[in-house]
Amino acid sequence: MSNAAKSSTNAWLSLLLAGGFEIGYALAVGGSEGFTVLTWSLVAVVFFLLTLYALSLALRTIDVSIGYAVWAGIGAVGAAVLGPLFFDETLTPAKGIWLTVIIVGVVWLKLADRTKPEAVAGTQESGQLADRPSPAQV
Amino acid sequence: MHWLYLAIAVAFEILVAIAAGKAEGFKNRKWTGITLASGAAATFFLSKALLTFDVGVGYALWTSVAGVGITVLGALFFGQRLNVNKAIGILLVIGGVVGLQLSGSA
Repeated sequence: MSNAAKSSTNAWLSLLLAGGFEIGYALAVGGSEGFTVLTWSLVAVVFFLLTLYALSLALRTIDVSIGYAVWAGIGAVGAAVLGPLFFDETLTPAKGIWLTVIIVGVVWLKLADRTKPEAVAGTQESGQLADRPSPAQV
Repeated sequence: MHWLYLAIAVAFEILVAIAAGKAEGFKNRKWTGITLASGAAATFFLSKALLTFDVGVGYALWTSVAGVGITVLGALFFGQRLNVNKAIGILLVIGGVVGLQLSGSA
């Protein structure tokens, strides 16, 4: 594998990891019961830092809008699917359908940021709006 | 009350986006501090909202409504263009949130 291909593979692995960490963050924030449960609260903080770190690594190589779309999608789908495994929750068909619409919407929205080269160059250089505190972001 | 907590969490998440953009890759200390403090506040209020919302529902609402807010504010105040694709994304999110609410799933 060439260096470029290797770094791309690593970036995508980082991105998938960041998505996984984001699922952990969402579940831990839920499990913290308003940050009254110490263990889950600490786990939430750790996942928060891990997801940021992995995402910032990934976004050094991967296009920001694609990176965010994949990361947000994994986090939201993961939280919806795994929530019922960890907590007293059910994923009913109606809930599943509307959550799918919302998640498709947010992924679409993130991807839509890509279709305007001049604005992307402008925001990434000058930095006005980011989505999460990541060094590579906007 | 859980909707109010969620709204506050969304507002802080939008502030995270604005502050992170001004933090210049975390070289600017003031905006880096605001970014982290907003992130902590967003997380705290999200956890309050998740006392009532299912994790999957609350998390999806939080991240998607914040995404819509970031796009809308970007267009209003930061000179970013709205385009058809962004509008479709916004409408999907809004439609999904309304549907979720009307179906009694939120």
